[in-house]
Amino acid sequence: MAERNLKQEIQKKLKDDVMQGALSKFAEQYPGSRLNAYKGQDIEELREELRAMKHDAVQHIDQLADDFEASLRKRGTEVFRAKDGQAVKDYIIKICKENGVKRVVKSKSMASEEIHLNECFGEHDIRVKETDLGEWMIAIAGERPSHMVMPAIHMNRYQCAEMFEQELHHEVPGEDIPNMIQLARKNLRQEFLQADMGITGANFGIAENGAIGLVTNEGNARLVTTLPRIHVVLIGYEKLIPKTEDAAKILRLLPRNGTCQRMTSYMTMVDGPTRVMYKDAGGKVVETDRKQYVILLDNGRLEAAKDPVFQQAYQCVRCASCLNVCPIWTLVGGHVYGHVYSGGIGAILTGLFNGVDTFAQFSDLCIGCRKCTTICPGKIPIPDIIDELRSRYVQKHGAPGMDKTMFNMVLNDRGMFHKLLLKAGSIGQAPFKKGKFIRHLPLFMEEMTKGRSLPTIASEPFRDRVERLSRKNPSKPKKRVAYFSGCNMDFVFADTSENVVKVLQSLGMEVVYPIEQACCGKPILGVGDREAGRETAKKNIAAFEKVNADVILSACPTCTETLHETYMKLFENDPEWKARARAFCSKVREFSSFVAEEYKKTGRMVHTKGGEKVTYHDSCHMKRGLGIYEEPRALIDATPGVELVEMHNCDKCCGMAGSFGMKYQEVSIPMLNEKVDNIKATGAATAVVACPACMMQIGGGLDKAETGIQTKHIADLLAEKL
Amino acid sequence: MEKVCRDWASQAFGKGMVKAEYWDDFEVNAKAAAAEIFRVKDFSEGEAKLNELLQEYAPKEIIAVGGDENSAIKNIYDKIAQSGRKIYTGKYDIYEHRDSADIGISTAEFCVAETGSLCVDNYSYEARVTSMLPFVNIVFVNANYVVKDVTVACKIIGKVFNKGYVGFVTGPSRTADIERVLSLGVHGPNKLLIIAVEDFEGVR
Ligand code: SF4
Ligand code: SF4
Repeated sequence: MAERNLKQEIQKKLKDDVMQGALSKFAEQYPGSRLNAYKGQDIEELREELRAMKHDAVQHIDQLADDFEASLRKRGTEVFRAKDGQAVKDYIIKICKENGVKRVVKSKSMASEEIHLNECFGEHDIRVKETDLGEWMIAIAGERPSHMVMPAIHMNRYQCAEMFEQELHHEVPGEDIPNMIQLARKNLRQEFLQADMGITGANFGIAENGAIGLVTNEGNARLVTTLPRIHVVLIGYEKLIPKTEDAAKILRLLPRNGTCQRMTSYMTMVDGPTRVMYKDAGGKVVETDRKQYVILLDNGRLEAAKDPVFQQAYQCVRCASCLNVCPIWTLVGGHVYGHVYSGGIGAILTGLFNGVDTFAQFSDLCIGCRKCTTICPGKIPIPDIIDELRSRYVQKHGAPGMDKTMFNMVLNDRGMFHKLLLKAGSIGQAPFKKGKFIRHLPLFMEEMTKGRSLPTIASEPFRDRVERLSRKNPSKPKKRVAYFSGCNMDFVFADTSENVVKVLQSLGMEVVYPIEQACCGKPILGVGDREAGRETAKKNIAAFEKVNADVILSACPTCTETLHETYMKLFENDPEWKARARAFCSKVREFSSFVAEEYKKTGRMVHTKGGEKVTYHDSCHMKRGLGIYEEPRALIDATPGVELVEMHNCDKCCGMAGSFGMKYQEVSIPMLNEKVDNIKATGAATAVVACPACMMQIGGGLDKAETGIQTKHIADLLAEKL
Repeated sequence: MEKVCRDWASQAFGKGMVKAEYWDDFEVNAKAAAAEIFRVKDFSEGEAKLNELLQEYAPKEIIAVGGDENSAIKNIYDKIAQSGRKIYTGKYDIYEHRDSADIGISTAEFCVAETGSLCVDNYSYEARVTSMLPFVNIVFVNANYVVKDVTVACKIIGKVFNKGYVGFVTGPSRTADIERVLSLGVHGPNKLLIIAVEDFEGVR
């Protein structure tokens, strides 16, 4: 594939008003409609049933495939196992030749899109038509689907009408959607009736009897499997399930998550060759068994099945709901992901099917906000699999040059880091500083301050304040708390760090600060360089061992998650460090949840009445990474003089997401603007956050928009009222 | 007509799986999926309802299945033919008229309350074209045969599904591919009319 300019493509999509309008409307409506479809159901139980069933299936995938094949052969179906797309194409063309096939109709199949199946028919003079309305239009347009369930969501009715005109060669008014639907019905009906062969995918394949399941709303799959005399099924190994009753585990979630329906109009199970009537060559109507061919597609799937991390992709039922809630997908749409599968799961499937090299670029478009993990029916930890793929990529190709050098030079060496920041700041800060923010940066750094102001660098980093602060430690401390600041809270929000210490001391804690601590390592782990990540982890673990604290505390959820969870996973093959990491990780706590616990113990967690309005933003890593969202609210509720008002979409990503917000500011800023609007709408005087990255982003956004609304870390709010 | 199972009630319905008491949920959910439902006491009421619908939709041609399995239904089809309407029930006739018929009359095995779906046994070609190709699909079903949810429905199907074609039909054919505007009748029927008969077996 030719080298692409992803940034440029993104810019273009952001300027596509039709698509922007459609996607933002959809993103707004989807979550509520989905929940409505689940009314009366225990969603978590259903998700777990699906996950467990699919997880179990992939453990026995070879057996399932053998059983599936045997069931089908017994019923008279031809089964072919295809290594890759080329093998599928060769096989299908062979069938077409053997059976004198001139016309083919297809119902939607992502697997056939994946291998670009349609390309092969033209050379052999075989007419092929997509019959799903969206796919039909997309095929006329010569585009790729932008969404797995709604392939044409990026087009408006007038653009759709153009596709009709191109195909039907007469004028089609775009105002009249029902007319277009009827035109499609009429036109495609003839395609169905005249086709010799129907090609479908499958939503599932049942090993015990060889049945395949097809879920559609239009009913095109029913016609594709009914009218032509030959039925070809293209099914990936990941669709295999053991029994008919296991289909229910998919069917109770797929329509609800996919299209917000309890059930789609048609759910069809076809088992083996079924009856068909057609006119034979002599024009006589005959009734026989339809010829059925089932192609099991590998294309990287069997390799993935053996890997404990990648095999989780088998839990995907292609409902596309992870796209519907993804803050990036809903902004840039599906096409920029470059392959047929888009969104976070798209990056994964592309990596598994097309090789890890194609994955690299699109993986950038997952910012790890974890929103998708809360609704995926198969409970797939999408961002974790992406992390794993990144790390495999780095193992193969090395870390992206700049990232690594920058990390080693800068983030690992705090003294150096601060000097560099101050230096950069002195160019930028002096002339452009306004209050606590930098509103513009000159020249090449200008991009970074478009749409958001950046906070100024603290002239005295937190580390230089520690000695002074520790003098106020209580003489008979309840606990010894070792504070892990992380980069932001050391160099940028040093005042907030100071407030963290004050709050802890007010609770009778002794606070110590191991001065040898480094960055948590997330920036380098995030690009997939585990080797460098391990070095950083060792440095931190050793530094904290020396102070022998009861609790290791961070006021940054991303750092907390890294210290608490990622460190545990880094030393699988190193027993000594694994043990040291375990001891370290077990002590790690996040600020607000720790403080909430201590507030409760000391009777400070009492509701206080009324006051100035504040609103709270849930950081992605805080809410979905650490599962902490009640505690900060309880703390606000217990703070005198303030009253919590919730904002719309309080847990939607603010767009910062580590370095993403800097690298893709064109995507980050629209996300930020939405957040700023939601905050403004609450009428709050202060936006409270519990994450320094969000604080930087939201604080910058609120400042740039001159809202006069303040941004505070929860530690700032608490310290003020001590 | 060939079927996946000759007698779903005795071979597939397990004890306590199928209950008339789930009817209300079924009705609500099927209506939510844009199906129209007519609950009738017996086949003579069913016949009257059907005639009303035929009046309303004034079909030029009707294709119909299910008469071979149920004498009361066969009786109704015969009377429709006698009234002078064009109704085709033999499979070769259905084949010939599959694209020109404007109403298809078929049967379903049971109802699924959770989703408002009909479970259909569509092994035969004629059953499939009858329910899919005409603009209107009228379905006879036993009003007492309702299962609670999709889990039970799939259990029942699993007991007898050895070869062939079964499925759920939930409302008419629909699409939202143009601007996410819901439109009915894109490939299949744009009307799904369910006649649920309370005394379905009585006349058999
Ligand atoms: S990853 Fe999950 S949410 Fe995304 S398409 Fe697959 S099943 Fe649906
Ligand atoms: S983690 Fe967030 S950014 Fe990544 S795919 Fe999921 S929703 Fe999208």
